[in-house]
Amino acid sequence: MIVSHLQIKNWRNFQRVDVELRERQFIVGANASGKSNLLDVFRFLRDIAKTEGGGLQKAVKDRGGISKIRSLAARRDPEIAIEVYLAEASGQPWLWRYSLGLQQEIRGYRQPYLTYERVWNGTKKLLDRPDDQDKSDPDRLTQTFLEQINANSEFRDVAHFFETVTYLHLVPQLLRFADSIQGRMIEDDPFGQGFLERIAKTTEKTRRARLSRIERILKIAVPHLEQLEFTRDSATGRPHLQALYSHWRPNAGWQKEDQFSDGTLRLLGLLWSLLESDSLLLLEEPELSLNAGIVAQLAPFISKMQRTRRRQVLVSSHSDALLSEQGIDGREVLLLIPEKEGTEVKVAADIEEVRALLESGFTVGEVVLPRTKPSANQQWSLFE
Amino acid sequence: MIHKSIILAVEDKLSEVVSATILASLGIEVSVTLGFKGKSYLQSKALSLNKTAQRFPVLMLADQDSAAECPPTLIQSWTRGRQNPHFLLRVAVMEIESWIMADRKGIADFLSIPLDRIPGNPDLIVRPKEFLVSLARKSKKKNLQAQIVPHPGSTNSVGPEYNLSLGKFVLSNWNIARAISTSPSLKRTMNRLQTFRAS
Repeated sequence: MIVSHLQIKNWRNFQRVDVELRERQFIVGANASGKSNLLDVFRFLRDIAKTEGGGLQKAVKDRGGISKIRSLAARRDPEIAIEVYLAEASGQPWLWRYSLGLQQEIRGYRQPYLTYERVWNGTKKLLDRPDDQDKSDPDRLTQTFLEQINANSEFRDVAHFFETVTYLHLVPQLLRFADSIQGRMIEDDPFGQGFLERIAKTTEKTRRARLSRIERILKIAVPHLEQLEFTRDSATGRPHLQALYSHWRPNAGWQKEDQFSDGTLRLLGLLWSLLESDSLLLLEEPELSLNAGIVAQLAPFISKMQRTRRRQVLVSSHSDALLSEQGIDGREVLLLIPEKEGTEVKVAADIEEVRALLESGFTVGEVVLPRTKPSANQQWSLFE
Repeated sequence: MIHKSIILAVEDKLSEVVSATILASLGIEVSVTLGFKGKSYLQSKALSLNKTAQRFPVLMLADQDSAAECPPTLIQSWTRGRQNPHFLLRVAVMEIESWIMADRKGIADFLSIPLDRIPGNPDLIVRPKEFLVSLARKSKKKNLQAQIVPHPGSTNSVGPEYNLSLGKFVLSNWNIARAISTSPSLKRTMNRLQTFRAS
């Protein structure tokens, strides 16, 4: 399943968004235009839906409360709203529709509560809260049915879909120094500290298959890399990745992940997560620390991977190399345009001039990215 | 005034600023800016943009570069002789720097050099970029020299802040009216854009 349509109201720096999404969707925009905030809608739904340590109250609290989530432009209408449509594939009729509204108590504990929660399966409405019980016991509105196994049995598919959303923004330093930092790992590990454990948890057969596929790519991308394998420390049992580099001194070439370069680690994390499962994957700027020649191959690689597992991928990016791929469709690109009353989100193909240029053979990188850059006037006053 | 917008294709940052300044003076809005990969890129995209111009007007600005290549022939060959009326392919004679130097007083003040160092018709300067750098070399402003003139032994023909420095001059001090009065090629482009605006 994929998210085929998204509507939001008053979410962070967006006042209103109403867009179709496809299997592969790129999100572009200036710095601070809200690319991560848009991805955060899906992380928020995951945080509500997850069975361990999830729920509406925690999801809101982790984000610093309603006042941090709510758009500053929301003045007369203080309600935050999210509506998500799920379909088998883009262009197909939706199977599920989930929507919720949120507000904060005006006095007292200022607890966040639901103004509504609704679920449809096709045209059949399965849930419409607040119901009579909610009205007689308003405390019930501090929890969604999505987060309660007893209450979501009719739409378990939706809960499961949200629960399995993966977000990746691998920070090489955190992975490389995981042992010495010994720090608290953030839930769901968005920054890849526990990346090695994730690899260790997969069955050996799957792990071998994935790593050999990754090895083939790394051999091309990383000079002198010959072999990649998974090992465990014989003393501590800790999982490691090691790579063999061709070297003039035989047997001197095995290196563990703490010696891998930033680019190698990020590429590894990226490739692994693309092969990992079939749930919604959120990728934050996958181009970081990678050579433009490799970045240029990411879009077709995502597409190739999607033929075998139908994993929807939402990618935020600034990269010319990534988006200059001829095969990217104007409908696969969301352009974030900062306006006074919050950021507007438009599908690139819906902007007339952009569409005309794309149809004449220009790429998204050539046509859409320049619109996300500061004007020459602004660029030149950057480093005064 | 009727609202007009145009797609802009340029060779580099400096051409963008000059074009944007000209268009702004005429009240024409730029919807999308493309290019920034030199002249050969523009040439490779000319046919595509000629096609785009059936639906949205396009201004493409290229440098002539050498006297051997005359603008009408260039336009003819880039569009294979089928130029769309809304594809405004303009050629700066010889380079965008010529148009910048066409505001003689402006550039003389900016570089703090005597006015008579700058030729009366900048379209006739053979290598305008080199010429502009050589003018900056004689500037009394040491700071400006360090920005515009390449450092000794450099592999580059311009200094490290060439675009930045000249771009800022164009944005803040370049006087279009004065520039039009000395550069015939700029004047022709201006006339063409005025006709476009009125169309």
